[in-house]
Amino acid sequence: MSEATLTISPVENLIQSSVEVDGHDPSMLISMRNIWKTYQMGTEAVHALHGVSFDIPRGEYIAIIGPSGSGKSTLMNLIGCLDTPTQGQYWLNGKNVSEMDDDELARIRNQEVGFVFQTFNLLARATALHNVELPLIYGGVSSSQRHEMAKQALKAVDLADRVTHKPNELSGGQRQRVAIARALVNHPSILLADEPTGALDSHTSMEIMDLFERLHSEGNTIIVVTHEHDIAERAHRVISIRDGQIEKDERIK
Amino acid sequence: MIRLASIWEAFRVATASLRANKLRTALTLVGIIVGVTAVIAVVTIIKGLDKTVAQTFSSQGSTVFTISKNPQIIKSREEFVKFNRRKDMTHEDAEAIARLCTACWRVGIAANAIETVKYADQKAENVRIRGVDPVTMFDIDGVSVNVGRIWTESEGAAGRDICVIGPDMLKNLFQDAPADRTIGQEIRIDGRPYLVLGVLEPKGSIFGFSRDNVVYIPYSTYQKAYGGRRSLVTFVQVPAAEQLEAAQDQVRTIMHNRRHTTAESEDEGFSLETQDVFLNLYGSATSNIYIVTIGVAAISLVVGGIVVMNIMLVSVTERTKEIGIRKAIGARRKDILTQFLIEAVTVTAIGGAIGVGTGFGLAYVISALIGFPLLVSVASAVLGVGVSSIVGIVSGLWPAWRAAKLDPIEALRAE
Repeated sequence: MSEATLTISPVENLIQSSVEVDGHDPSMLISMRNIWKTYQMGTEAVHALHGVSFDIPRGEYIAIIGPSGSGKSTLMNLIGCLDTPTQGQYWLNGKNVSEMDDDELARIRNQEVGFVFQTFNLLARATALHNVELPLIYGGVSSSQRHEMAKQALKAVDLADRVTHKPNELSGGQRQRVAIARALVNHPSILLADEPTGALDSHTSMEIMDLFERLHSEGNTIIVVTHEHDIAERAHRVISIRDGQIEKDERIK
Repeated sequence: MIRLASIWEAFRVATASLRANKLRTALTLVGIIVGVTAVIAVVTIIKGLDKTVAQTFSSQGSTVFTISKNPQIIKSREEFVKFNRRKDMTHEDAEAIARLCTACWRVGIAANAIETVKYADQKAENVRIRGVDPVTMFDIDGVSVNVGRIWTESEGAAGRDICVIGPDMLKNLFQDAPADRTIGQEIRIDGRPYLVLGVLEPKGSIFGFSRDNVVYIPYSTYQKAYGGRRSLVTFVQVPAAEQLEAAQDQVRTIMHNRRHTTAESEDEGFSLETQDVFLNLYGSATSNIYIVTIGVAAISLVVGGIVVMNIMLVSVTERTKEIGIRKAIGARRKDILTQFLIEAVTVTAIGGAIGVGTGFGLAYVISALIGFPLLVSVASAVLGVGVSSIVGIVSGLWPAWRAAKLDPIEALRAE
């Protein structure tokens, strides 16, 4: 390492940004190194992921695409810190989350990850405002601040006039926007969307994808997991997963 | 650390889900309500009775004891037969005690009859006619004259037809006339006319029996009206409770001599008793009631707790998806655990609070019917809600733990 720094000129060092510390690149928001996920099915070990490595810098708009059974859901669960890898290292925002326990992961999910689900996953009995406040409650934000932040988040998704509505009083697109507001309210490092348009008609789907584009232009890091190519094509980079491995990782914009 | 905000959130969720399932909540509450109601009602009633009993017996206090042919409480037929073979307690026995017992302060005799008392066209039934001698029996009984006077010793000894009436007579015979208007009036007992000399201070009632429904007459008059063969009761009062034992020893010796018995005899031939007899009987009766109540309450609380546990398990299963959502957005195990524990405690505490209310209500109705003071104790209310909350924690713990350790991925997949 010391020899390397002697031979590489400062200019080259700036261009070649992939300087590894502790086996990952600290300038990256997400760094996955040789990730394995193995499930035990009876006596047989099934490798959902074998040896996946990639980096995602801050502010990227990325799609992870693959057919069902490819391992993309497993990968999404790992990125979202809902699960830990069987083997390999995962750094999120400088923290090694691959060896965290349940409660530490809950804390990371609360602070670093904003989830958007295919079926919205809002609490049916709670108002839009309360749904958006929920991450802040678990984050320990004071109630007055919570209200303000949740209202701001709903305003950011153009739902300022639907604050007191419950999910069953909202359209599918509006529900998904409440879910996006909930995902963003804590200012997480990543917005992680799992088939975000899967339950929406094509017109509403486009609205939601436009919203993602806008959020990306405002500086958010967005990861969309999908099996639909036209959704994936809205991203700037596409990682294709097949049989538990990265098949392709290409920049398209 | 569990944050206040997440506790409040848990409480909000709990009340919302209880409201959403009203019938289920109501059924869940039944066991808890029954248990707490039983405890609160019984504790409140017995406290009220305790106060009445304490007031009643402290008026005579522990300085008075009685010597009689039969004890106040006869426990069996054999005892009844045995006591009936005894010699009657007579005026002479009382005089001997008064003369020989140096530790005794006041000695008096009393005999009772239940009669109908009439004045003009009014009549009062089931009135206690109490023949007493000497007039210090008023002091031993702890009663005093409110209006008018007690008879003099010479009037009493002469066996004149005079009386001092209890305040119930004003209401029942004189249509609530002022007490002084009754002085000098003539009432009739069993056809015999009696001149009213005085009216007693009210004493109130115990267990629904008025202690003011009484007419005092001199014992010699009583003897003339009802015959002298009836056994009487000798009352002895000592100046202070410390002298009680010494006086009782002396009286026993005097009576053993008069009955030709000893302490070792198969039957001493008389009964010497203090108010403790009543207090002991009362104490054992109430402690039995307590034991039964605690049993009933424990069973209903255990059943209630099992019902709560069952409902909470159903609730956890129904809300698996919700738990998944909460975990995904950052709820930790203890947040979920707290949420379901608070839900269980909320149900049982509401049940406990309702139970406290119905318990006090029941006690109120019973106290009004029997006639004793209602003592609403904050401590028993706190206890009622506290115990039911503990039931909530105990029965909510397992369902809450199951919810807390759900895998978020699995839980999100649930429908």
